[in-house]
Amino acid sequence: MTTSTTAPRADLEPGTPMSSRALEALAGSYRSIPVLGVLGLIWLFFYSQNSAYLSVGNISNLSLQIVTTAILALGITFVLLVGEIDLSAAVLSGVCATVAANLAVKQGVPLGLALLVALGVGLAVVLVEALVIIFGVPSLIVTLGGMSALQGLLLVVLPPEFAVSVGGTTYAEIASTHFGTGTSFAAVGACWLLYSVALLRRQRRRAASLGRGLVPVVVSGLVVFGLVAIFTQARGLPLPVVILVVMLLLASYVTTQTTYGVHLYAVGGNREAAQRAGIPVARMVVYSFLVLGACALVAGVVDASRLLGVSNSSGGGPLMLNAIAAAVVGGVSLFGGRGSVWSALLGALVIGSINNGVQLLGYQPEVQFFATGGVLVLAVAIDVAITRGSLLPGRR
Amino acid sequence: MTTTAAGTEQPGAGEPYLELRGVSKYFGGVRALHEVDLSLHRGEVVALVGDNGAGKTTLVKVISGVEHPDSGEVAVRGEKVRLDTPRTAAGHGIHTVYQDLSLCDNLDAVRNLFLGQELAGSRWRGRPLDRHRMEVEARRVLDSLSVRIRSLTTPVGGLSGGQRQGIAICRSLISDPSLVLLDEPTAALGVTQRAEVLDLIGRLKAQDRGVLVISHDLKDVQEVADRVVVMRLGAKVAEFVRGRYTSSELVAAMTGAHEGSDG
Repeated sequence: MTTSTTAPRADLEPGTPMSSRALEALAGSYRSIPVLGVLGLIWLFFYSQNSAYLSVGNISNLSLQIVTTAILALGITFVLLVGEIDLSAAVLSGVCATVAANLAVKQGVPLGLALLVALGVGLAVVLVEALVIIFGVPSLIVTLGGMSALQGLLLVVLPPEFAVSVGGTTYAEIASTHFGTGTSFAAVGACWLLYSVALLRRQRRRAASLGRGLVPVVVSGLVVFGLVAIFTQARGLPLPVVILVVMLLLASYVTTQTTYGVHLYAVGGNREAAQRAGIPVARMVVYSFLVLGACALVAGVVDASRLLGVSNSSGGGPLMLNAIAAAVVGGVSLFGGRGSVWSALLGALVIGSINNGVQLLGYQPEVQFFATGGVLVLAVAIDVAITRGSLLPGRR
Repeated sequence: MTTTAAGTEQPGAGEPYLELRGVSKYFGGVRALHEVDLSLHRGEVVALVGDNGAGKTTLVKVISGVEHPDSGEVAVRGEKVRLDTPRTAAGHGIHTVYQDLSLCDNLDAVRNLFLGQELAGSRWRGRPLDRHRMEVEARRVLDSLSVRIRSLTTPVGGLSGGQRQGIAICRSLISDPSLVLLDEPTAALGVTQRAEVLDLIGRLKAQDRGVLVISHDLKDVQEVADRVVVMRLGAKVAEFVRGRYTSSELVAAMTGAHEGSDG
């Protein structure tokens, strides 16, 4: 069966060497392979220590724990891709969540409207930051200052008691909503079907064989339905996870399939070349910061909803560090132009898996910090090694 | 090199594609260009030579729409035009390949070729790339200049200097220009890669495009140019036609050794 499908394929495209196809595939997913390896090792280690680590319940738990970091890391990825950085996003997520909580819970504004206002606040803040950056102040400084200023803004938007509890409100339902087995499988199945059809149609347009298109279809099907099965065996498919996946899919489409995406990478890769090619560089920087602003809102709201409230520590703690680390561990370059949006998920999974395991095994919390720091440096070291080896062969 | 359409016509004859008449440019009190006349034809390779500070770069900037002349006029196909921006210049069929190539090392060949002029769908669908059509077109353009690249999907940062130069030149062909400006195309290349690029220039000419090459390398110039324009201190001091000059005449004109003798 396999020979009968591969033979005509070779006849159809005599000029395409399989080695270059293999290279192409490897180059595309190159960066995620070492990260996946590290993730596998982490899982193997904790599983060997305690078999509950890979239980259905803990996987479901882990997924909920990483959502905030992953969504924030997704926004950071956009900013890193154009060669900038943001240190204020975590606090901004706290500010957005607080504005929404204040309006929805204290003032009785409908949740949708409250979220819209919070989105406006988030976008306004990043817009100001982006404009100052375009003016010429380094993004590190702008967002460092922004972080401090937003800490102040957080105290301003908080009520005098410095906390808003959202327990028992529609706000809290964002994180506690779980979709049942029927709904989950139906919705996910429909999405998977749409994806498969789109993929196979493109494959046919390129006059490539159907067999090659079937591989990603089958693999994605196994992964998607397997995950849904795990979630539905626990408490159901959590809404935050759905939000994260939808955002990732949208970001993946935009960055890899659209003109906007190419320009994003071009600006990060060679700003002057992008400018000469007529790409509006300044506007691209503003766009990526606006994406970060929207991500900060979603991350903040999901986090507040999961923790049942906001306080003056919302968006504080290690969240900012973890989000940047997640993007970088996942393979996004700090110097712009390299990495994919899936890096955010992978990196957040690595960091979240360590934290989850350390807590599960009851280790001292310092172990968590050591391990996260070690993985961050290790991941960048691997990245440096790969870059030296593959991207610039023979060029000094 | 085949001598077909381009060879039958005497270089420099017929209506020029681009014509500069008495173009001058000042930067403050400094005279960068002084009353320069220059005509460029399709199917002809013109080399622009001169010492540092001779005004070559300024002249190229004027033609590519980066700088505007203070006086004099520019005509495309006999019609007076204003080349205000690189985009207007491109609109008039003039494309510039910069010395640093202006490639994005992190993007693949197809994305670099179409950078800023991607084939994409409608705006409200998020301008999705027509990757298939772009790949087909990229192959056609690369083949037309015999630029061979291992894969269209590997980042161009990993390619050789000659291949990168090839991609940069091919990028100018995406918009099908009539005139291609090459700024020091062989400056940073090895021997074989240099030969590749000189071949490319020959193929551009065979496609009936005009080529203006800025170069320091007199060997390159003598090899590819139908006409050599010599600049010195912002003025055009000499013009030579292929086969009717010697290296020493060229050097003399560049350095001003025989001051006063008109070229």
